[in-house]
Amino acid sequence: MSDVPAGLPKPWTRMLNSVQTWSRIHSPWAIHFNTGSCNGCDIEILATLTPNFDVERFGILLQGSPRHADVLICTGPVSLQARDRLRRVYEQMPEPKFVVAVGSCSLSGGVFQGCYNVLGGVDKVIPVNAFIPGCPPRPEAIIDGIAKLLGSLQEKKPEVKK
Amino acid sequence: MTAPSTEKFIVPIGPQHPALKEPAHFEFTVDSEMVTASSARFGYVHRGIEKGAENRNWIQALYLVERICGICSNAHSTAYALGVEKLAGVQAPPRALAIRQIFIELERIHSHMLWAGVAAHEAGFDTLFMYSWRDRETVMDLLEAISGNRVNYSMNVLGGVKYDITPALSDAVLRGIDLLGKRLEYYLDVATTEETFVQRTRGVAPMTAAQAESLGTTGPTARASDVQRDVRVDSPYLLYDQFPVTLVTETAGDLQARFTVRIKELFESLRVIRALLEHLPPGELTARMPRRVREGEVVSRVEAPRGELFYFIKSAGGENPYRVRVRTPSLCNFSSVLVGVIGHRVADIPMILAGIDPCFSCNDRSVIFRRAGEDDASAKGGSLPSAL
Amino acid sequence: MTNTESLLAQAVDLIGDRATVQHTLEPNRFDLAVEPAKLLECIALLTSAHWGYLAAISGLDHGPDSGRLEMLYFFCNKAAVITLRVPLARETPRIPSICGLIPSATLFEREQMEMFGVVFEDTPNSDHLFLPDDWPAATYPLRKDFLTPAPPPAPEDSKGSLP
Repeated sequence: MSDVPAGLPKPWTRMLNSVQTWSRIHSPWAIHFNTGSCNGCDIEILATLTPNFDVERFGILLQGSPRHADVLICTGPVSLQARDRLRRVYEQMPEPKFVVAVGSCSLSGGVFQGCYNVLGGVDKVIPVNAFIPGCPPRPEAIIDGIAKLLGSLQEKKPEVKK
Repeated sequence: MTAPSTEKFIVPIGPQHPALKEPAHFEFTVDSEMVTASSARFGYVHRGIEKGAENRNWIQALYLVERICGICSNAHSTAYALGVEKLAGVQAPPRALAIRQIFIELERIHSHMLWAGVAAHEAGFDTLFMYSWRDRETVMDLLEAISGNRVNYSMNVLGGVKYDITPALSDAVLRGIDLLGKRLEYYLDVATTEETFVQRTRGVAPMTAAQAESLGTTGPTARASDVQRDVRVDSPYLLYDQFPVTLVTETAGDLQARFTVRIKELFESLRVIRALLEHLPPGELTARMPRRVREGEVVSRVEAPRGELFYFIKSAGGENPYRVRVRTPSLCNFSSVLVGVIGHRVADIPMILAGIDPCFSCNDRSVIFRRAGEDDASAKGGSLPSAL
Repeated sequence: MTNTESLLAQAVDLIGDRATVQHTLEPNRFDLAVEPAKLLECIALLTSAHWGYLAAISGLDHGPDSGRLEMLYFFCNKAAVITLRVPLARETPRIPSICGLIPSATLFEREQMEMFGVVFEDTPNSDHLFLPDDWPAATYPLRKDFLTPAPPPAPEDSKGSLP
């Protein structure tokens, strides 16, 4: 699925692409998904919305539906059942989409490596654009990770991921 | 003219959860707006921790159980450490016990304030959510200053604690406590006099003491119904016999009582922390622990923010635990929700659920499960029943 | 006699000779070995006397070689804890459900059923509580013969003694 209709004259394509990039960078809508975490990362993600950290000043809004989201923020080591659900949530998001894996569990399974029922990392199921390590990472680290992701978008045209 | 339908309408709620950022599945049978029956399916956060503990040595298992839940992680690690020390016949030094008690009470403060914010958010009262989480940052800063982390502080080691509270840190904690005391007075005022908030909580899901006991509830949920039960008072551990807390109960047993019990408990926590800091015993921070723990069985109970946390630990004399049974308070409290919602409106469900302060990661120690057909079901329920 | 000791004595009195009392390494805790057939009677005596509350139910697997499973019922009354220990045969572990006396025990029974494969007779609900519906049948994770891998090895320099 491409963002900009094909067949337009080049200047139009360039302009529409840069508007899209600008709006995605300046106001990304995020959906948060817990694949079995202890909640530590989730409460730190929630804390980013609160006055001390205030992630909304970056235009980031936490949404309820994957169909409205640009960024998927994942926590948890991915249980065997969450795998299908995670994949489905990812597929429902419109292109272009980005995935941020928050916390040691979503990077590698964390302390739960080897436990039955745990896959061990979000990137075993879906492609991940940014990894934010920590157990849990501080709200500042989470904001920093997302800001770095957005910054990397600014440097290049977002590629349509299939 | 069509005949009136006798079909029941079932509102599925979750696994994307309405009251917390955790997954679980509830089904409420409704008749227009009134709930007539309810059922629950958990297992969404099951990770296999009890088994995992058997495959790790005593120290590794400490780090594992600490992450059963990020919100009450210190309660878990304290219960485990106390149990293993009892098994090994080791007594942590008094200074370590005092610091552990300070941490468990600081954790209670952060947990109840977190809960107050989330519950207020469920009631549509976002201002209270923002205020309480902003004030909660005072506690988070103190926890971080002492232990180095805001969540999962890893304060405990087997035999004692890792970090000391220096005089400078002690002063910072006392200043933080003074500030929190004032803010909590404000929140108590809001919970009892703010008319729009009171209308959503007074008289909602009341539970008598007899019901609370028969449903097996524990913690502030039970104490809001005048059940006189608190592990810190009934079976003192750490230094609760020297620095006791007063039992805080309410009689109304409704949602408002559950709010006020939690806030009033925090005043007790502040008092105990102050007393401990003023009389912090001098001495060592750790006692020596053997690598292998001698054979035996032990029961360790602590009062986590949500209620009684029960650990049964068995050693077969080796380097690994033989059995670690974790019974978390949230599991006990769910029955009260399933019974409490009946006769109430669908709109009250998230608040009633929030009233027990559910913690599904504690509850399940399990994995998330999602069934087919749940695609983009919104978190607020009210969606058509999918193919479940 | 302290309050805890008198509470324990009271429980032992109630149960009488339906169980064998064993001391534990904790002075506030007694074990009471009970046969499955006497379990409901003992629990009825405790509940009708309002002795404490059911704190937890836990299964315990003594290993495939022992041929034994145990089901432990923990009752707490203030600081006193008694554990009703019911021995079960590993091949066919059956035990009466206590939900008729303590309805809230259903969640505990469901969990132990799926984790150990114990059958609670007449329990009101035997659906999985935590394990997924597509979990393989007759596979009980908390039994000793269900093997999971150990965590990755710790780095060399951490092999010192405990702090």
